[in-house]
Amino acid sequence: MKQVPALLGLMLVAFFAAFPLVYTGANYDYVMHVLITGFFYAILASSWSMLAGYAGQFSFGHMAFMGIGAYGTALFCHYFVIATEPTGICTEFPFFDNWLVIKNAIGVTSSTLEQDCLQQAMDAWEGSVRVTPMPVWLGIVLGTIAGGVAGLLVGLLVLRLRAAYLALFTLGFSEIVKAVISAEIDITRGQAGLELPALFDSGVTILGTDFSRTDKIPPYYVMFGLLLLCLGILTWLARSRFGLFVRALREDQEAAAALGVNTTRYKVFVFTITTAMAAAAGAVQAHYVQIVTPNLLFLLQMSLVVAMAVIGGVENFVAAAIGAIFLQVLLETLRTSFTIGGIEVDMTVWRLVFFGVLLMVTLRFFRNGLIAPVIVWFGRIGVAEETVAKRKAGGTA
Amino acid sequence: METPIYFWGVILWMIAWGVLGSVALNRRYMARDLDTSNVSFAGAMSGAALGPVGVGYLWLRTPALTPRLTTVLGILAVVLIAAAFAFADPQNNCVANGRFVASQISNGLIIGIIYGFMALGLTLIFSILGVVSFAHGEFYMIGGMLVYYITVIWVPGLNPMLGVLGACAIAFVVGAVFERLMLTPMYRGKVDRPVEYGILATFGLAFTLQYFVQAMHGASPVKVQRYVDFPRIRWPENADPHWISASRGNLTLFDTISISNPRFTAAITCIVVLLALLYLLHRTWTGKALRAVSQDRDAAAIAGIDPNRMNMLAFALGGMIAALAGALLVQAFSWLPQVGAIPAMRSFVIVVLGGLGSLPGAFVGGILVGLVEAAGTGCLPDAQKAASYIPAYGMIVLTLTLLLRPSGLCGRRFASGAHGQGG
Repeated sequence: MKQVPALLGLMLVAFFAAFPLVYTGANYDYVMHVLITGFFYAILASSWSMLAGYAGQFSFGHMAFMGIGAYGTALFCHYFVIATEPTGICTEFPFFDNWLVIKNAIGVTSSTLEQDCLQQAMDAWEGSVRVTPMPVWLGIVLGTIAGGVAGLLVGLLVLRLRAAYLALFTLGFSEIVKAVISAEIDITRGQAGLELPALFDSGVTILGTDFSRTDKIPPYYVMFGLLLLCLGILTWLARSRFGLFVRALREDQEAAAALGVNTTRYKVFVFTITTAMAAAAGAVQAHYVQIVTPNLLFLLQMSLVVAMAVIGGVENFVAAAIGAIFLQVLLETLRTSFTIGGIEVDMTVWRLVFFGVLLMVTLRFFRNGLIAPVIVWFGRIGVAEETVAKRKAGGTA
Repeated sequence: METPIYFWGVILWMIAWGVLGSVALNRRYMARDLDTSNVSFAGAMSGAALGPVGVGYLWLRTPALTPRLTTVLGILAVVLIAAAFAFADPQNNCVANGRFVASQISNGLIIGIIYGFMALGLTLIFSILGVVSFAHGEFYMIGGMLVYYITVIWVPGLNPMLGVLGACAIAFVVGAVFERLMLTPMYRGKVDRPVEYGILATFGLAFTLQYFVQAMHGASPVKVQRYVDFPRIRWPENADPHWISASRGNLTLFDTISISNPRFTAAITCIVVLLALLYLLHRTWTGKALRAVSQDRDAAAIAGIDPNRMNMLAFALGGMIAALAGALLVQAFSWLPQVGAIPAMRSFVIVVLGGLGSLPGAFVGGILVGLVEAAGTGCLPDAQKAASYIPAYGMIVLTLTLLLRPSGLCGRRFASGAHGQGG
């Protein structure tokens, strides 16, 4: 019986792995989209629960790092291209046999007005020169690194802060990131958003099947793979000495320090890893939806992640991930508005109210979340009998 | 406009010496076994203001860092930055135009009083419950919304002051009920980590309130007529310029400083309520009980005060203060369900700047933040960017405070009501 959680977990993984291949119901693309977004939130919720639940660092800036990842790759893919000839008007560097061209920032302009320098050059070349955009995976890696570095810097700054100060500072940090992105219209195009190439811009062939750039199956597996990777890393971390130290830090920082745990180093380490995960999720999601706007950083998004993690179980990142997928699906199914007694209930907003109430009820009455206790229950089945049997057998423990 | 290179040179010089002063002097004072509680701030300010001279003096003499010395150094540093800015950009509105500066300062003061008042509620909650209420902005939002609903929808034509009172009463009840339902487990030892629990619980309340209002009301902005009209005054009658002249919606001092009616009434009401609150806290039994609980829960309980009731009262009062600020400002700004986010951020900055749990600190911090924001929005050359960066000015203050003086301006040494968790 003790293997039940592991077995269930494997079954769940197998289910999600097979789902896009066997699902033939209605709205195929929509269902896939909901699940991809669910995986995206699952990465955020599980990494946040590592940070908040395991390490006890309640950061409300998780979405800011996600945004840094998304904007990192967006800016990289938007401003850097490789051309076979120099343009003569852009900033450019020789790059092996080609030229690395950096576009100039022109902000939001109508396409009939001003053109960026690359566009002008391409008009002059009339298609004689090959212009290659940067590889998407490089953008994602760079976005992840940018998020991790930002996490490292913020982590170094906030590591001395206590719970309340930390929460305030990270919330403010997220507001700053949003303000900068909204204000620097020249570079980030502000509310107009930056467009990105799709995850597989020219289509992809897997096992002999061709997928076009709008097909949902490749991004589904990319996001799912990223989720499994993140969960794998988190599990590995939680089971190593690192996890032990981090939990000690959560329970009693002074005692942990007295026992020789380098509290500062582990705090910064856990902050960096989880923020890098958030940034990776943000970068992949940005390429999947193909546009990034400052609205990514609305407090609603952070509230959703926090609520998903808490409802799933904030001290168990697998539960948080499952909770996130489950709640994302639930939120989508609740979208349908209905009419009671002549009053139309607009469920697109009421579902969020329901969500907030669920969050508070969970917090008040189910302190470990709704999903984590189930996992623990399965894990503990038979433990009592075993212990009793051992005692009867004459063990002195 | 082109910012000359030497402006950035001066700023870099100040930052470099500030960092050096703060780090080096910290070590020096530590090595000499002196009081280091104030040294990061004083060191940074002396480095920024006087460069190597200031750092060298403090390094050699290591004088006791009295508040007076620290304040003088801090003001010197601020003056220096202002001077560098004035030299760099002499045409700028807030260097060349004295009227503009005067009106910016008075605007900053007035809005700062309102900010400080709102932050007061947050700090009251923190000093007694040990919880930072993340729902503070939402109380502010429902305050404004309730005034609109009471005076425009439910009882059209009602006196707006009654509407404000009604909004405060409802916010008080919401705060009290929430505290009873959600926060009681914190004090009963049922929660492993009460501080985090409190943060999450108030966060949940904020989420629910915001979307509840959005679901009930929709996303359209509302605005309320101004509550009172100024009488028409010209005083003294035959002076030029008039010292005070007022029309219905505006008050003008010396023909230069113009104060809009809603902000003026809001600031005056805030000051009156603040005085009432100080009276409550210092002269009545309930207020003394509140302060006693914030100093030491257990001792207060032994003296016959029920700390749980004080918790409820403090949370409800704090929420009511935020709602009052919202109810007063709904006549000045248009109101949306999302309107609470920025004032909430600002209150957080203010309470950290003033020192979490310190009432006078919150008020002083509010005025400071008001002035900083006025300077930021008025002086940056690009007006559109300046407006977009409003949340960032407060954050700069917050970051500096956390780095240099984490206990805030008037931070208290002893543990506040954090239930044995320390301050």
